[in-house]
Amino acid sequence: MKRRYAIGLLIVLMLQAGCGTSSSLVNDNSKATITGDETDLTVYLNDFDEMIGPLFEEATGYKVNLVQGGGAEILSRIEAERGNPHWDVVWLDMISSIHGLGMSGMLYEDYTPDNASKLTDVYRSLVPEQRWYYPTSAHAASVIVYHNDELSAAEAPKSWEDFSDPTFNEMIGIADPTIAAPAYSFINWFFYKDGMDSGKQMISDWLNNGLSIFPKNPNVAMALLSGQIKIAALQESNAHRLIQENEKLSLVWPEEGAPASVRVAAISKDTTKLEAAKAFVNFLLDPATQQAIIEASDEAYHEPSVEGVTPKLDRDSGAKLLFADAMSSYKQEAEIKQWFADYSIR
Amino acid sequence: MVRRLFDTLIMKLPKGESKAGWLVLALLIILILAPLLSVLLQIIVPGYFWGNRQPGQLDLLLEVFRRPFWLRSFQNSLIIAFSTTALGTLLGTVLAILRSSWDFPTAKWLDIAAWLLLVTPSFIIAQGWILFAANDGVASQLLGATFVGDFIFHPSGFIFIMVLCKFPLAYLAVRAAMSWNVESLSQSAQLTGASSLTIWLVIRLPLLKPAIRSGAALVFMDSIGDYGIPATMSALYRFPTLPYAIHSAIYSSPVRFDMAGVLSFYLILIIMLVLLIQLYIMRNTRYDSLTAGAVRSKQRKLPKHAWLVTLGNILFLGVAVGVPIGCTLFISLVHSPSAGFAWSNLTFSHYSELFADRSMFLESLLRSLTISTVAALVALAIGVIIAYVLVFVRFKLKAVIEVTTLVALAVPGVVLGIGYIFVWNQKWLEPYGLLLYGTPAILVLAAIAGAIPITTRILSGMMATIPRSMLDAAQLQGASWMKRAIVVLFPLCKTTLLTAALSAFGISVFDLAASSLLFPPGQMTLPVMINRAFENMSFGYAAAATTLGGIIVISVIVSINRLAKLELWRKQ
Repeated sequence: MKRRYAIGLLIVLMLQAGCGTSSSLVNDNSKATITGDETDLTVYLNDFDEMIGPLFEEATGYKVNLVQGGGAEILSRIEAERGNPHWDVVWLDMISSIHGLGMSGMLYEDYTPDNASKLTDVYRSLVPEQRWYYPTSAHAASVIVYHNDELSAAEAPKSWEDFSDPTFNEMIGIADPTIAAPAYSFINWFFYKDGMDSGKQMISDWLNNGLSIFPKNPNVAMALLSGQIKIAALQESNAHRLIQENEKLSLVWPEEGAPASVRVAAISKDTTKLEAAKAFVNFLLDPATQQAIIEASDEAYHEPSVEGVTPKLDRDSGAKLLFADAMSSYKQEAEIKQWFADYSIR
Repeated sequence: MVRRLFDTLIMKLPKGESKAGWLVLALLIILILAPLLSVLLQIIVPGYFWGNRQPGQLDLLLEVFRRPFWLRSFQNSLIIAFSTTALGTLLGTVLAILRSSWDFPTAKWLDIAAWLLLVTPSFIIAQGWILFAANDGVASQLLGATFVGDFIFHPSGFIFIMVLCKFPLAYLAVRAAMSWNVESLSQSAQLTGASSLTIWLVIRLPLLKPAIRSGAALVFMDSIGDYGIPATMSALYRFPTLPYAIHSAIYSSPVRFDMAGVLSFYLILIIMLVLLIQLYIMRNTRYDSLTAGAVRSKQRKLPKHAWLVTLGNILFLGVAVGVPIGCTLFISLVHSPSAGFAWSNLTFSHYSELFADRSMFLESLLRSLTISTVAALVALAIGVIIAYVLVFVRFKLKAVIEVTTLVALAVPGVVLGIGYIFVWNQKWLEPYGLLLYGTPAILVLAAIAGAIPITTRILSGMMATIPRSMLDAAQLQGASWMKRAIVVLFPLCKTTLLTAALSAFGISVFDLAASSLLFPPGQMTLPVMINRAFENMSFGYAAAATTLGGIIVISVIVSINRLAKLELWRKQ
């Protein structure tokens, strides 16, 4: 009796597997259907998740599901999902990494949103030839924040060169570029500006001057607050937030400018919701949207990418951002990170 | 003909108890081995899961000895793991023996402290210590002590904190095994004139070896796989570890899963080596000393110097728990951590924010509690079978089972998370309804995988003390496997089962690494929500969520423990 049941079960399973295989062969060229409504858009992002969903839904009627995480986490998720992507749009402040996704053939090409005509000249030049992504804003990957009690305004560092000044020995902390995305955008500038060797010289001078390296920006902020370090290179949005909440801290925007972290939006090549995804990217380039984000979010300390948008009032209007080329940043990323990791443990 | 074929197949199927061994292996393959191997596969064929069939650079395996960063990470991981294991196991064992043997004021606080430290994620503990030991930190503000910082921000300081964070694993494992006491053995020794110390050294301590070994294995695995503490603590004095190197490989662009695979491979190699050494040391030894004469351990009142022990306990708890948890509590109650202890700085706004409309606290807490409860129960059931197989069954692939259960604890959660995406995101699974990535089910699976090592180790430490003869006697009387388990095993292991389940529950709630990669859109778990607040510099909110979440979890654990113990005592 038991044997008969077992044989029957085996036959049923084999039939199932056979059917499954043949249907999957038929469907091979189409995408795997993902749970959820056909109109639900899936967006992977690292900031502004609290407001962008409701704003977009109200404006367009499309429902959006968000996956929020650290920039690097989101990218590793995207990469791991490569055989069967679940995301439709990615919106991260990591232009060189998104450029890399384009190079790997993972991004939808040749889309020109209507609102792209409103991009300022600087930001239009950042759009790649294949139109893989569009910039929505840029902020400083790092600005200088220091403790008022420890250093007066005159004593505080004024430029990135000061990080190797022996006066500031063992006082300065930055986030680890091998772990924290903004920290890579930060140090990458120095390799881009005058070449690899010059960059290595500058950063090694900093490291030899007792630079402390923390995993991520929040750790740097904690260290500054607790007095573990006196000076920090912090991402712009984090820096402004800290200054507002702590009277003991002050911000310095270096004279030569701050390396930029550019936030871009891109569509997945494998998306099944192309119309909604296009609408989302277009929506992000709408001046009204960009203004709404700046007003609604405490983190929105950035330069908008389209005309007719006013940045936050307490953001220095003369603040200079330094833009590195996305392609060369992507190409030299592995080499820079490996060099940094190996040098920093000496 | 089909029938004859089928008969042959049935004959070849595992018989008797080895069926359990194969079942366990199948479960471990699905839950742990397949995801892990999928990451290791990236070394040989990177991008296998998205159609790439080009072989990878196998000489990447030798890079560990060439790249300074990787070599240093490898060395540091070994240093931290061995030191923490030695000291942590010693501390946990001594405290467990103290707690199980003697009754003194504040003794119960040790149990609560162990649960608290187990439940709290390591990066929170590290942050608490930073706040305490930094230049403007609590230590210098309250005690004027700057030497604290010099000690803490140094490798010996990291090991100190690791020991304080990981000892609960050894403590709980040994405590669980001490629920029974074969008094006849100690009494015979007493009759021959042996002192208490001799009894302890010659009889009781050796019999605790399986539990101590289980505890040590757990401490080793958890410390070698710990990313949070060394990463957060080492800033000026760079102390990268293997998990840190793995994170930097995964968080690079382009993402290097093959590098993460290589580093994970070496991590697994270390684990296998350590296990082999352990197995060699423990060969030909038996610990199944439990007899019908065993009684439930009862604590005796300390004859003298109880005040000294109490004071020592309070000081210890003050340092181990008070500092990290206290500092987290402090952040949750102030506007600005740097403004120090001032009445104007105090606020409850972070706690009220938790219940505000846009706060995800309650939703993510409920989600995490549900997932952890399911995971704990399933991991308990699987843990029972695994422990049974490891202790009682003659099964040729026992070593594979043993290594796999420990590897899940040691390998960083981010590696298992990536492996889960590889395995459970494959298109061909979709028609069978098994494409679990993108659904809440994947979080449950990952939580079970993370909890299995805990339940297995705690249970096997206890089961090793049960003589096979007890089960054989029942079998001779005609009892089936189920009956043997319910009538013989279950009563002996009741307390241990509870400890195992609650430990698994506690450790799952705040597990960040895997859930940050696996949570479906719009369905954050509690640790993901807390981490998000931390990354947004909302330190007060993050600390409040951690504190309140932690209080709720500990309350659940302690109340269930109390209720169960009351039931047990009532029945006796």
